[in-house]
Amino acid sequence: MAYITDYQYYENNGTAPEDSNWGSYQYVTLDDIVTNFILMYVGNDKLINNVEKYNILFHAKRGIQELNYDAMKEIKILELNVSDQLRFILPQDYVNWVRISLYKNGVLMPLTENIQTNWSGAYLQDNNYRILFDENGNILKPENSTLDMDRIANTQKSIYLNANSPQNGNEGFNIDGMWYFDYNIGNRFGLNTETANANPTFVIDKASGVINFSSGMSGELCILEYVSDGMKNGVDSQINLNKLFEDFIYAYIKYAILTSKYGVQEYIINRAKKDKAALLRNAKLRLSNIHPGRLLMNLRGQSKWLK
Amino acid sequence: MSIANKNNYGYITPNDFNLYAKQAQLDIFEDYFYQYNSWVVKQNARVSGSGYADILRGLVEVIDSFSETRGLTNTGINLFNLPEDYYLINKINLYPNIITSSTTTAAALNTLTDTNATFNNGSVLPGQIVYNSSLTSVSSGVSAYVISVDSATQLTLSANPFGTAATIGNGYVIATTAGIREIERVSQNKIFYLNSSHLTSPTTSYPAYVLGGATAGTFGNTLTVYPTTITISSGIVVSQYIRYPLDPNWTYSSLTGGEPVFDEGQADYQDFELPESDEPNIVNKILQYAGVSIREEQIVAFGQLQESEDNTQQN
Repeated sequence: MAYITDYQYYENNGTAPEDSNWGSYQYVTLDDIVTNFILMYVGNDKLINNVEKYNILFHAKRGIQELNYDAMKEIKILELNVSDQLRFILPQDYVNWVRISLYKNGVLMPLTENIQTNWSGAYLQDNNYRILFDENGNILKPENSTLDMDRIANTQKSIYLNANSPQNGNEGFNIDGMWYFDYNIGNRFGLNTETANANPTFVIDKASGVINFSSGMSGELCILEYVSDGMKNGVDSQINLNKLFEDFIYAYIKYAILTSKYGVQEYIINRAKKDKAALLRNAKLRLSNIHPGRLLMNLRGQSKWLK
Repeated sequence: MSIANKNNYGYITPNDFNLYAKQAQLDIFEDYFYQYNSWVVKQNARVSGSGYADILRGLVEVIDSFSETRGLTNTGINLFNLPEDYYLINKINLYPNIITSSTTTAAALNTLTDTNATFNNGSVLPGQIVYNSSLTSVSSGVSAYVISVDSATQLTLSANPFGTAATIGNGYVIATTAGIREIERVSQNKIFYLNSSHLTSPTTSYPAYVLGGATAGTFGNTLTVYPTTITISSGIVVSQYIRYPLDPNWTYSSLTGGEPVFDEGQADYQDFELPESDEPNIVNKILQYAGVSIREEQIVAFGQLQESEDNTQQN
């Protein structure tokens, strides 16, 4: 018997959202993972018995989280306009970023992370540089630090890139679209390639949950590609895993339980560990989709003459 | 009793016999679980066979003959009462998809009649579970399955969840058997941590319960189910458990020559519930209790010897 009918797959039996089953066959649900594991790997005649279901659930979720961080390549993409405060609030399920781009004039321009900080917190101080407190003993803080204010007001220097200009590669101020430069005094040591970029830059403030951009991003459209942990905001029924990782997740749960159980022989734990590692390698290879045809396309350029 | 009464001075009353019989049956009943565990260990050590040599399967069959499935009565919040005859809870399930609930309006065996209902609107289907939700009913919590939808107001059921006496004015709940979730037992000292954990906190997909003490009245222990949103309005909670065997009751109708004459036609007659293969064990056990009662050492010794031989043979 088919898992779902064709009509259910393509049109969700006519109920909205009609696309909810598209591509669903690639995935196995968390519920299936836990059920199958209990059925096949837990029992009086199995390596694992007397284990609570919440143990299995925990390790299944942890395994899915780990896979989402690197192996799964389940990239989520979010588009938002950057505010005049030059901030982009990280999405609720954000764990790590993959790429941040500026979308302008129909072109997607990947942005560079600024290795220098462009934001900071600040404390209010008096003329004698003493920190100021309120009546409850809490430190008084300004809304924005000087660093933030300069960034928002665009009074920070940035590198000007224009091959046709004598100021190419010099640091200058971009105010209302016009560039202003200091006099060229002293030695110059070439371009700092780490920070050289014509596009705006960004720094992620993880604790505050925002991306702080340089001034060129105000009002612009930002495309954030990021990875989540696959927990679907805690809705267990929506958690799933690519079938290529199904065997791995069983091996992961088995290893995690055996390794934390008292009295399990070391050779059994080692066997489970090797099993887990081999299956992860297998799954990653499968997911990488290295097809001869694709390699051939890349290799076509090997004898191209560089002029 | 013929062994104990060999010299015509080993007479015990039917009342005493019933007490010894109950004790003997409970002893053997409980021993099944220890034997089960012992044979699991043997099976894992590969000293147990398959087919007719599969001792474990035979033990499971006997234990399963005491299996009961019954809905649990709800006290309004996330508290549910276990039946009073349970020996061991095997599993607790949640049937979360309620189709309808209301009150019966007529009385008939294996039938649910509700003149205010519209059972034939396509939502109630054969195979769905019907549960007696009346706290005041003697059959509270008893469940049955829909056999057929007879009309808009009547269903034929697989059993009589409302009891044989009162079938009018009983609350009922009908739920589908799809999407059943097992409610996991969690110890009292873990439930706080379980509820506090993001990854494992109980949800309707993975509910949990802790076992509490008995409540006043006739019910057994209380279950507290998590998440706390699980009440009778969000699903039927059904237990599958192993019950205690019914107390054997040797009944008689008249006295002949001062002795009671056995009569199994009495309403309160109750045979042993263990398999016939346990008869020697039961006799040995009763002999031991009866021997102590009439201070007959030989009978006690005989019972113990027989039991010992049986155990040696079985192991």
